[in-house]
Amino acid sequence: MFDNRLFRPGGPVKPEEKDWPSFRGAINEAMREEMRRDPLVFQMGEDIALASPFGVTTGLAKEFGRERIRDAPCAEVAVVGAAVGAAMGGMRPIVEFQFGDFMSVAIDQLTHQAAMLRYLTGGQVSVPLVIRLPCGGGQGAGSQHSQSLYSWFAHVPGIKVLLPSTSMDAKAMMKAAIRDNNPVLFFEHKQLYRTRWPVPAEFRDADHVAELGKAAVRRAGVDITVVATLTMVHHALAAAEALAAEGVSVEVIDPRTLVPFDVDTLVASVRKTGRLLVVDEAYLNFGIQAEVIATVAERAFEALKAAPRRLGNPNVPVPFAPCLQDEVLPGRARIEAAIRQMMSR
Amino acid sequence: MRAMLLIRAVEKAWGDAYLTEEITGIPPSLSTGQEAIAAGACAALGDGDFIFTTHRGQAAQVARGLDPKRILAELYCRRTGYNKGKSYHVTDMTRGVVGMGGIVPAQVPIAGGMALAQKMRGTDRVSLAFFGDGASNEGAVHEAAALAAMWTLPLILLCENNRYCITQRDTDALKGPSIAARAAGYGLPGVVVDGTDPLAVQAAVAEAVARARAGGGATFIEAQCERLTGHLIHDTQPYRSREELESAWKHCPILLFGERLERERILSADERARMNREIEAEVAGAVAHARTQPYPAIHEAYEDLWA
Ligand SMILES: Cc1ncc(C[n+]2csc(CCOP(=O)(O)OP(=O)(O)O)c2C)c(N)n1
Ligand SMILES: [Mg+2]
Repeated sequence: MFDNRLFRPGGPVKPEEKDWPSFRGAINEAMREEMRRDPLVFQMGEDIALASPFGVTTGLAKEFGRERIRDAPCAEVAVVGAAVGAAMGGMRPIVEFQFGDFMSVAIDQLTHQAAMLRYLTGGQVSVPLVIRLPCGGGQGAGSQHSQSLYSWFAHVPGIKVLLPSTSMDAKAMMKAAIRDNNPVLFFEHKQLYRTRWPVPAEFRDADHVAELGKAAVRRAGVDITVVATLTMVHHALAAAEALAAEGVSVEVIDPRTLVPFDVDTLVASVRKTGRLLVVDEAYLNFGIQAEVIATVAERAFEALKAAPRRLGNPNVPVPFAPCLQDEVLPGRARIEAAIRQMMSR
Repeated sequence: MRAMLLIRAVEKAWGDAYLTEEITGIPPSLSTGQEAIAAGACAALGDGDFIFTTHRGQAAQVARGLDPKRILAELYCRRTGYNKGKSYHVTDMTRGVVGMGGIVPAQVPIAGGMALAQKMRGTDRVSLAFFGDGASNEGAVHEAAALAAMWTLPLILLCENNRYCITQRDTDALKGPSIAARAAGYGLPGVVVDGTDPLAVQAAVAEAVARARAGGGATFIEAQCERLTGHLIHDTQPYRSREELESAWKHCPILLFGERLERERILSADERARMNREIEAEVAGAVAHARTQPYPAIHEAYEDLWA
């Protein structure tokens, strides 16, 4: 099902691709359907009514009006706080950040307030909100617009963390996020926005909602398990395809959600393959890669035939110059090299 | 006039480099329409003073006298650029220019800290933070202003109200009489100045600088102007009407100041054209220089993180 659309520089190459939903179109459609279904769903964000930077909210202000698609000022603390309060008051807010990196500005409202309020009130309140965070590098957008900071938020209790990698998942997971009664972060890799993916029939079903906490086995294999998220799923699949020609059978697992995390699918895979490589754009230090490896070490240590490995940003800011940027982001070539090395042991 | 023409020429070169795909990445943010603010403010500062610039910071960097060759080298991601290709937040600590802007209000509290350092170390130097009308709604700006008042910091809060925060009109977000009117609430003097007039900006900033040097603390200045080009260069501003844009161009500071210098017989149209030709030649030279400069070596990705 996956060929390497991510690596094509231009638009669709096959005529049928034109009918496949784009990643950002899928998010748009999910939000549109949910806003039609539930009048309590509304959105806040900078420029979302007139021209949001990545166009994910295009057309929504026209259909739902400026009361439900609210242009926010540059005041992220107030807007995230407003989402928390509105959620407590019975609304179901969606907040767009122009770049997910800016979540840093309003982190208290999220991690100490949204995430903890239910617990601190002994279960009296719920905080059903979705924050959309464009993330990831590869566009030459500089250090403060290129990060993948989900480890920060998966680290603290009380926040669901979603990482969709295809149009189908983007739509079904966004719908699940909106219907969830907890704070949900929805990370959108900017390199995926324009990609188009073939989808199963349920894509058109307005009642099809993803079950959160279920990993996807994107490719079955027996020699090594590669865990990858967002664009790295596609890089891993490309690497797997190349290695298949060399007789290496790679299993690619896309966790899809970090919180909740599907431990069982991961453990079952490593029990089968005995090898584990984790790839992500996140900073390596104390990041999601380490968490996945630790989980396997605890649950399936005896199945490991080789030391697990991780690829990620080697703990430097993503530099502005494209040549330096490419150096610090993992990708297909590094995945291939790591797998070859692990298989040769 | 020279500074304003130079700003526009450097920025045009930057924009052209993007439009012709010589450089890629985040599109350039031009200061077209705001040149008088950078030129006026920097003319009121002395050696050793600090400025903190925004995502639209090239104007101030040029006005502060940084070398267009090295500015463009940075924008072309070359290793001889001011920041060695690491970011386009052009910084030259030897000239007191700190480039920021990735996170909209972040430079404002930090400029306050630089003012604090000057005060604690007993210099008479001042720190000036540029920020936009959009940024003025961020909590960080309010907190920095309140702190500067409390500690009588030698800080100039220079808000460039170019009427837009990306697609949002200033009046949609600002419900008070002006941004500078908030200064009273912080306990600071607040001034509104015509940001299309470099001499008016210079005078207002000079007064604030004199107050700060004399130990009188911070000043909040709102310089009003029009953003004439898009938020970033690829933004065609579909959210602004033709009439609005046409009337905005009547406030082009280069046009207005040029006419005034002609009227006052200080600089004729011919002399201005000659000046502009010299500047364009200088900038063409800077572009040619930037193009020949080497890219950073791969190992440089791992350098400069730690002191
Ligand atoms: C914390 C944060 N929020 C939002 C942004 C996105 N952003 C970049 S520039 C900009 C506009 C800011 O408007 P203003 O302060 O008026 O400056 P101008 O662009 O007009 O120069 C915004 C919202 C950001 N970089 N950082
Ligand atoms: Mg503005």
